[in-house]
Amino acid sequence: MQNKEDLPANATVDVVTSGKASEIDDWETIKDNDIMQQQSAILAEEAEKIQYVGDKEPVSSLAAEYQSGSAILLEKIKVLNEQYAALRRTRGDGNCFFRSFMFSYLEHILETQDQVEVDRVKASVEKCRKTLLDLGYTEFTFEDFFGLFIEQLESVLQGNEGSISQEELVARCRDQSVSDYVVMFFRFVTSGEIKRRSEFFEPFIMGLSNATVEQFCKSSVEPMGEESDHVHITALSDALGVPIRVVYLDRSSCDTGGTSVNHHDFIPTSEALPSTASGGSEASKPYITLLYRPGHYDILYCK
Amino acid sequence: MVDIARVQKELQECNKDKDSSGISVKLKGGNSLTHLVGSIPGPLATPYEGGTFLIDIVIPDGYPFEPPKMQFVTRVWHPNISSQSGAICLDILKKEWSPALTIKTALVSIQALLSAPEPDDPQDAVVAQQYLKDYQTFANTARYWTEAYAKSSSVGIEEKVRRLVEMGFPEVMAKDALDAVGGDENAALEKLCS
Repeated sequence: MQNKEDLPANATVDVVTSGKASEIDDWETIKDNDIMQQQSAILAEEAEKIQYVGDKEPVSSLAAEYQSGSAILLEKIKVLNEQYAALRRTRGDGNCFFRSFMFSYLEHILETQDQVEVDRVKASVEKCRKTLLDLGYTEFTFEDFFGLFIEQLESVLQGNEGSISQEELVARCRDQSVSDYVVMFFRFVTSGEIKRRSEFFEPFIMGLSNATVEQFCKSSVEPMGEESDHVHITALSDALGVPIRVVYLDRSSCDTGGTSVNHHDFIPTSEALPSTASGGSEASKPYITLLYRPGHYDILYCK
Repeated sequence: MVDIARVQKELQECNKDKDSSGISVKLKGGNSLTHLVGSIPGPLATPYEGGTFLIDIVIPDGYPFEPPKMQFVTRVWHPNISSQSGAICLDILKKEWSPALTIKTALVSIQALLSAPEPDDPQDAVVAQQYLKDYQTFANTARYWTEAYAKSSSVGIEEKVRRLVEMGFPEVMAKDALDAVGGDENAALEKLCS
């Protein structure tokens, strides 16, 4: 009996193995180039679905994605819809945190025309440049990225020759040749800050990935498309001295009854904050609000 | 789309300390900054010691967001380098590439890979198996390949320079011409005559 049972089983295995073998033959002919080309084709396909930075839309539009999903999420979306004015999606290409931050920060400067903030952040950027040089980075590897960010910063201030409107800011953040450079600028800044304060960041990094600070920056911060975590957000917020609020849309429920949506404020360490305002709470109140859903960040607008 | 200014800066930077590092990058031929040849010395105390390894470098359109395409021109016996095609298995040439890296840092990493093979993540399964199961045979083969392929080119170049000098070209010009075309004697002759 057993033999009879074994036989067909073996036969099936054989078929499967030979099928696999021929597949592997095919795989061997595929070169890295082909894989990379295929990868960029997939990315291009993705690009048609959503821009790097989308249009403003009502927060309630999120509900469509969860119609058949958890009731907690739908409840939370209702709460968010009451608390926030609008949502702006970003492409889920692993750069969404940096891209959301870029648009949100530049839009904030465009709307407030806050010259003091621009001067302050420029000083922070200058410190970041020095950090990278101290860490042994070759200047030409990062200078273009720094230059392009400063250019965007200056162009959102009105009254200059190169000033741009809100529509132009949207267009630039959708233009790869600007958008990716600014994302990379933030990656440089983040990596520099993590390495500069490696003793502070090390335990968090060990908890996340069991890698050294150096390895973490090399494999999870500096390459494009690597997703951001608490460590990245903390480092960027500290390095630039910009507070960030992250609102979490997840399944966690509240013990106290009723539905509320959790958030976490990333407040820069005091050394990064403007000295004149260190006593006031104004300086540390986040004006950048991001919506986090597991694996992705979008932009939220306050009412 | 290639950031030509950056490639130019990289070439300067890389060749600035080539006497101490032994690592250099040249144009493949012609004036294109998108096709280059890198040269790295085999690390000391490895089977590659004494060899000079040439690496073909193509700068893609998306550089520096996309990694440079690198593969060995010089044949080499190593677990992470194809003994057939010269293809290199190295994280920073693929998903861990970042614009923070340069052609030079990539070549330095390749040199480090020669010192510290990673047989568990092989490019050439046959070499990797040999490395793990019979290290002595691996080391002997790698050393033999270094003798046969990574040294002959320099000997060959001297011979070619001598022949070009005999034809009446100054030695310096003959060397430069051979360098510029990657050692092809006929192409060098054509360049000298043009």
